[in-house]
Amino acid sequence: MPLSLIATLCLLTTQAPGASLTPRDSAFHALNRLAYGARPGEADSIARLGVMRWIEQQLDADHVPDPRIAEHERQFKILDYDRADLAGRYRDATRERQRLQREAAATGDSTRMRDARPMQEFRELGGQLQQLAIVRAAVSERQLREVMVDFWTNHFNVFVGKGADRFLLPSYIEETIRPRAFGRFEDLLIATAESPAMLFYLDNAQSVAPGSRPPAQRPPAFLLRRRFGMNEMPEERRQREQRRPTGINENYARELLELHTLGVDGGYTQQDIIEVARIFTGWSIEPPERGSGFVFRDWAHDHGTKHVFGLTFRDDGKDEGIKLLKFLANEHATMHHVSAKLCARFVADEPPDGCVDAAVTAWQQTHGDIRAVLRAIFTSPDFWSAQAVRSKVKTPFEFVVSAVRATGVEPDDTPRLAQLVARLGEPLYQQPAPTGYAETEEHWVNSGALLARMNAAMMLAKDCSSIPAIDDHAQLVEMINQQLLAGTMSAHTRTVILEQLTDIHDPEQARVMAVGLALGGPDFQRQ
Amino acid sequence: MSISRRVFVKNGGLALVSLGLDPLFLARSVFARYRPLPPPTASDRPILVCLFQRGAVDGLNMIVPHGEPAYYQERPRIAVPAGDVVDLDGHFGLHPSLAPLKELWDNKSLAAIHAIGSPDATRSHFDAQDYMETGTPGVKSTGDGWMNRYCQHDREHADTPFRAVAFGPQLPRILAGSAPSLAIDDLQAFGLRVPQEAARDRLTRAFEELYDGAGTGLLASSSREGFEAVQMLKRADPTQYRPAAGVEYPPGRLGKTLLQIAQLIKADVGLEIAFADCSGWDTHVNQGSSDGQLAARLRELGLALAAFNRDLGERMHNVVVLTMSEFGRTIRENGNSGTDHGHATAMLALGGPVNGGRVLGKWPGLGVEQRFEGRDVAVTTDFRDLFGEILARHLSATDLGTVFPGYTPSPDRFLGAIRG
Repeated sequence: MPLSLIATLCLLTTQAPGASLTPRDSAFHALNRLAYGARPGEADSIARLGVMRWIEQQLDADHVPDPRIAEHERQFKILDYDRADLAGRYRDATRERQRLQREAAATGDSTRMRDARPMQEFRELGGQLQQLAIVRAAVSERQLREVMVDFWTNHFNVFVGKGADRFLLPSYIEETIRPRAFGRFEDLLIATAESPAMLFYLDNAQSVAPGSRPPAQRPPAFLLRRRFGMNEMPEERRQREQRRPTGINENYARELLELHTLGVDGGYTQQDIIEVARIFTGWSIEPPERGSGFVFRDWAHDHGTKHVFGLTFRDDGKDEGIKLLKFLANEHATMHHVSAKLCARFVADEPPDGCVDAAVTAWQQTHGDIRAVLRAIFTSPDFWSAQAVRSKVKTPFEFVVSAVRATGVEPDDTPRLAQLVARLGEPLYQQPAPTGYAETEEHWVNSGALLARMNAAMMLAKDCSSIPAIDDHAQLVEMINQQLLAGTMSAHTRTVILEQLTDIHDPEQARVMAVGLALGGPDFQRQ
Repeated sequence: MSISRRVFVKNGGLALVSLGLDPLFLARSVFARYRPLPPPTASDRPILVCLFQRGAVDGLNMIVPHGEPAYYQERPRIAVPAGDVVDLDGHFGLHPSLAPLKELWDNKSLAAIHAIGSPDATRSHFDAQDYMETGTPGVKSTGDGWMNRYCQHDREHADTPFRAVAFGPQLPRILAGSAPSLAIDDLQAFGLRVPQEAARDRLTRAFEELYDGAGTGLLASSSREGFEAVQMLKRADPTQYRPAAGVEYPPGRLGKTLLQIAQLIKADVGLEIAFADCSGWDTHVNQGSSDGQLAARLRELGLALAAFNRDLGERMHNVVVLTMSEFGRTIRENGNSGTDHGHATAMLALGGPVNGGRVLGKWPGLGVEQRFEGRDVAVTTDFRDLFGEILARHLSATDLGTVFPGYTPSPDRFLGAIRG
């Protein structure tokens, strides 16, 4: 779409009834939704550039210069390791911990457990992943891409605390999600289906056709001696056999339909789930010592014919699954479900039909080009309507990152900010349920969480570098209004803050108090 | 609807009637006792305290079937010798570390539930804990926990911020959902964290005023709840709390947590559900028998529960404490003198309303043919039947169908854990 046309559209939409946004208000709104909030002065510079031009730039992320991000990313060692490295480190750490456990149990001395250094190191490495997300969200100039990486990581949620996902998650985010955040939905869907992280998380890795058995593998001679010699009891052998997966596992099939594609009201049945699960039998992962990559095990695949959604899948190995994913990716229910979720993120908790319909139309026209779908949302009148502007409450992640951006706090590679986000109730990648975290305010606003936000605000206020300590309180509060809230501070907030400052004479104290109240107050919770 | 729902409910049943809707409390189901409920902060309000033994406790060494020869055959190194067991009924006995609970058994306020667990066969801690907390075994996408769903539905007492409290840094899955619930890591540090009291009060007032101007949305009502909670707690003054005379909680996290729960109960702030984790039960290696690793964990549990019971004294007449764990452990000990992930486990219920002095549930036996998949204790009681009974008969829950979707615990299957 040529820029001039977009500019026209923008002109039309901002003139829609009820929306009398100034160029600066439009820029601030766009920064609140397509980015993690505004840095001081940023709303003005985008207003000067033209908000629709900025949105087009964000949609073309590869061409947005991002000079500072590389230097920040270099601080994170986790990016230097591939999946096999991490698998190895995790295996070593687990062995070391087991060894120490045995020792501790033998000597009755549990204090030695704290010496499990490799596991601690591995955990710290895992923690870097959360901190990295915060640094990228705060620092990157390609803000919309970061928002979309977060959106898809949450849509295709994987819980980092489940077994092998402790070491599979980094490559899931870096290699599966990140490169496809702006691509075609279909490619993203297939990539997640083939990702070891998802295959492990939703148990498809152990889904096998009933009655199938792995081809007989004669173990090496030395193992044979060990296994069938004195060391293994028949009972242990029997138990090992029992641990081998023996049937289909429906978990992935169910969540694929309910959460990833059609949606809970997508009109499928339990029989459909079973047929889908049969199609994905054999989609599995290699053992960790071989890198834990994707593998299709033909012996575990159900070779029978499957009937689902009016389609017939005859014995065609892995291609059955690919064919099904391509079909699901462009079903109307999927387009509607995913578009509504995008609109809940970008427009309103309960999105109006108009923007959802616009997104679905763009999806149909472009065969699921995510950029086109997003563009349709950002040019829809609903996005710019008065009802949408500042109607959403920030999630804990959005709250912390937007505060960091507004206050000029320099995010570092320590876990400090990640811990803060966790304390506010959204520990990153730690949602056990495949639903991911909720987008709506009722999940984030409760009394304990609000008190925690106020504490966080006071803490961040101490490090604020974007507001100088000045004597004149009125000037101080006006500066906070401009720099932190792009001029949207309510009269009530202004009055209350000024009242609080009356007997504070130390400018530094006044600054921390005023910034803290502004960040922890109701205006800054909204976006 | 989501924005106004909480405010709406807070304004009470009259608003519901005037809109032509049936207030939830008129729609009582067959489970409910038709007894008038005390106001939320009254001291005789029923309370449920749940402890989740994360890691899968070995039910067989907690409540020992010392009358079963198979128990001793399968566990040559880790079985608790019959002479050490604190006998309960000639067949079962308490692990000696739980001896402090024997007097509760004798006065009929402690019951054990054996062979309880999930209909789902998973032996993954993660999945099994998830199922136990969502209350939907086998269904992973359930968004909220069963305790929260109970609070969503039975909202008669929704007007205290302390109705449902999880002790820990984050809200656990069991309490996740749209009904307000609090996660409190440390009672004494709840509220705004400012060292000096005067400064703290001042900041609290400032934020209170800020949010007072935020209109009528969820932000405003939640902040009001939060500041109410801070005020209530300030009046209760947790820093001054002393347990009842002669009561000493064991050192460690569990003791501290139960002390704080007791404190909150005595403060009459409207607590109805308290939840806490207690970990360290995944005994794959050298679990020990009468002494050792598991014995040490059980000792802490026994001492903490006994202290809690004595600390609350008369207040226990309307308190039920329930332990739960995601699954049990293998009947046979493994090569490392430990046990691996199994199926059914045992739970403990104590308190005045408990129909104690009995081991509840149908005992399946330990014979090979009686086992689940040939190796584990079979589940004869679905955990939802026990949870459901406690909700219905102790907390007077009105609609168990929405608490446990897809499964309606039936009074026919209730074990009789709560006195009639």
